[in-house]
Amino acid sequence: MISLPLSVKVVFSIPTYVLVAAAVAIPFWILFNAFDQLIFFDPIWIFYLPEDAVTGFILTTIVTILIGMLVSMNIYIIRHSKLKISRGTLFSGSSLSIISVVCSSCSSVGFLLISTFGSIGIIASNLLTIYQIPLRIISAAILFFALYYIHKRIVQSCVMDFSTNNMKTDQKYHEKSDI
Amino acid sequence: MKNGKILRLEYGIRSNLLSAIVVMTALVFGILLFSPNIISINQNVLIMGQTDDSTSSSFTLSNLIKQGSPYIGNLSAPITIVDFSDFQCHLCARHVKNTEPQINETYIQTGQVALVFKHLPNRGFDSMGAHIAAQCTNDQGKFWQFYKLLYENQQAIDSGWVSKDNLKKFASQISGLEKEQFNTCFDSQTHKESIDNDVKLAHSQGFFDTPSFIVVDSFDGSDPEIIRGAQPFPAFQSVIEKKLDELKK
Repeated sequence: MISLPLSVKVVFSIPTYVLVAAAVAIPFWILFNAFDQLIFFDPIWIFYLPEDAVTGFILTTIVTILIGMLVSMNIYIIRHSKLKISRGTLFSGSSLSIISVVCSSCSSVGFLLISTFGSIGIIASNLLTIYQIPLRIISAAILFFALYYIHKRIVQSCVMDFSTNNMKTDQKYHEKSDI
Repeated sequence: MKNGKILRLEYGIRSNLLSAIVVMTALVFGILLFSPNIISINQNVLIMGQTDDSTSSSFTLSNLIKQGSPYIGNLSAPITIVDFSDFQCHLCARHVKNTEPQINETYIQTGQVALVFKHLPNRGFDSMGAHIAAQCTNDQGKFWQFYKLLYENQQAIDSGWVSKDNLKKFASQISGLEKEQFNTCFDSQTHKESIDNDVKLAHSQGFFDTPSFIVVDSFDGSDPEIIRGAQPFPAFQSVIEKKLDELKK
């Protein structure tokens, strides 16, 4: 029986992939929470989580962690196999999350939508605000699907790569693990 | 030959992914740097630069009151917070629920700060009606009750919660409000022009999103500090305390 944590263990037992995931997830986490008006930089740097924002914050955190994991695991696949990367899934999930979070607040992006597209912009901006939570749930679902897809690629035998370079990398890794 | 193709394909995928990551990172930081909602340093500089004498004078407390803007606080309060908000904006409701009571208790009730409301209806088609109604309640000195009532009952944007009929129902819940006077004012859109002027003023200051605040010296409207978004109390506190310290010197 193949379990999801196995692929996660395989990839994230290597510190580089943890760093890549963090490097991708942290800026997105900051960006999403800034758009949600939970992080402020001016006049002071402050993080603030009011009651009405808890659900959105939890979903945002899940989505950003998933984005980080996906990018990192995709890189792992590229380095360890000749298989085609699931960019379509990764980017559709990421872009949905971005759109849902960006338009979730009374932000300047909302204004841009309104000023650029007039009445249609108002409707679009309002719909994105109203359906903010369902959109984030959809984003998380797409990202989970992408994660499952990558997980399968990592744990199934098709990702085994016996090329000289990768063998060396793997040997080094196992030597380190033994130490 | 086949290996060469695979290598080229792998190289292509790698470079595409790398480009995608670079683009995404650039996008993140680009938005962070240039979105006025997130980092307003650039805008602040611009606004500070734009704030000439005429703009300053439009933010003196006496001038704001002359313009018919609703306010609370002591007329001799040294600091004025001008609040640009929309009744349909959920972040404005967040501010009213979480931050404003703390500002009120700490600074307004103690006579250090006056709060002035400016209309910035930009969140939906029904917003203008809500602001006209609110300004009509201000004619009878009932603005803040109406304001509180609207934010407490806020629902999804343009869902009909601030339809004409509902606004009249909200107004009828306020004790002491003359219904006929309110209806006449509301139906004839008496205050539409003054609300349009508020919107123009907001835009001239670079405020397009709600809530936005400008904190000024009450007497000459000088030394403006901008606070964008539904920031928590410590953000307001830092600006107000800094101003109070400057005034003591």
